[in-house]
Amino acid sequence: MRLLIRFLLKFKTLFLFILLEVFSLVMIVNHNPFQRVHFLSSSNIIVGSLYSCTESISKYFSLGSVNRTLVEENADLKRRLNQLQDQVKFYQFDTTYTGRRSESVAKHYIFRTAKIIHASTNLKNNYLTLDKGTSDGIRDGMGVINEKGIVGIVSNASSHFSLVMPILNSFSKINAKVAGKSEMGTIIWDGSDTRYAQLEEVPLYIPISKGDTVVSNAYSSVFPEGIMIGTVSDMKSLNNNFYSIRVNLSVDFSRLSYVDVIEFRYNEERKELEREVRE
Amino acid sequence: MNMSVRYIFMFIVVVLLQVLLLNNICFLGFINPYLYVYFILVLPSSLNKDLTLLLGFLLGLVIDIFCGTLGCHAFATTALAYLKPYFQKVFGPREIYESVVPSMSSYGMKMFLQYVAYLVFIHHFIFFLIEAFTVSNIGHTILYSFLCSIFTILLIFLVEKLSGKKTYRE
Repeated sequence: MRLLIRFLLKFKTLFLFILLEVFSLVMIVNHNPFQRVHFLSSSNIIVGSLYSCTESISKYFSLGSVNRTLVEENADLKRRLNQLQDQVKFYQFDTTYTGRRSESVAKHYIFRTAKIIHASTNLKNNYLTLDKGTSDGIRDGMGVINEKGIVGIVSNASSHFSLVMPILNSFSKINAKVAGKSEMGTIIWDGSDTRYAQLEEVPLYIPISKGDTVVSNAYSSVFPEGIMIGTVSDMKSLNNNFYSIRVNLSVDFSRLSYVDVIEFRYNEERKELEREVRE
Repeated sequence: MNMSVRYIFMFIVVVLLQVLLLNNICFLGFINPYLYVYFILVLPSSLNKDLTLLLGFLLGLVIDIFCGTLGCHAFATTALAYLKPYFQKVFGPREIYESVVPSMSSYGMKMFLQYVAYLVFIHHFIFFLIEAFTVSNIGHTILYSFLCSIFTILLIFLVEKLSGKKTYRE
């Protein structure tokens, strides 16, 4: 015991040094959002492979529900395919029009399916981890959706994993509008209930009623226009100018498994053009 | 003037100078001198090592609070305060065994500049490394710390030249 105390006293400067440095590091990781995201993603090579290992075991237990959602999605896709085929038949005589229409959608967006291997919903700033990264073509800032609606935006991608900032994160801001209206607003999350988010900055003069759907708007370069976010569950006026709308999210964040990552192919070109105009 | 009062005064001056003036320079967009490390560099050699460490941490923390980079400056400055005594042994005068305040007159110009240059570069390098929080862009980090170090060393040289005469007379 006395030896231990003598040992501690002998190296007390070194211990103080290490203590202060650890203290600084804790502060850095806790207070600066950039370092936190980076810390999460850099440790993902270790943590990510651990998660994918446990996921590969636990996925057998959720096979039933995954199957059900897949069947639902299949049905939905078939229905949409039928609709499109009908439309194509309908417009067949006007070849110039259909040609342009079908080409423009396929040209602008690429969809990649990825699996969620880790997700949190209990924190104020939640993150999801996907099993694909930059080597599969995923980049920062791409939109993430599933069959029910918008999930979030990719915030950080390493070569084999990527980190998604879902709507359930206090830093998340997603452009949105009420379907059928052109005024845009922003979806944010106040950190309390995982089933509800808030739609803000929608002006008071447009009529909105409960049950209206909230979708992504056309100005965003991340999501195509009209992707479901949720339905209006409640609203009140905020400072006489804007609504504060409670949105019942269509995506169930506690039961996510497969998602689609959207790449907007001409993002660079669009940004370049917009920058040129601004200068 | 009493030694400790003088150092407290200097602490405040260095922090205010750094926060109000030097942080706004942004030469070429990113090159800022970090003159505040001067305070740690000129602490006397007789000062307790633990106290030096605590002062380094405190100084970094105060700068951090003003810059909004909580922890980054504190980390780098604590490391600087830990390394300082060893560099003092290497570059300081050999024959004198009493307390020495590092300065151009006590060390000699060449030794003092070397002492400052090494420590400043180490401090800046650690700071930029922690701020970037990655080693993948190491070349960039080294270039940044090198350019900022030159600026800082130049400023310390000027401060020493201006205050050097005064210490001679005292």
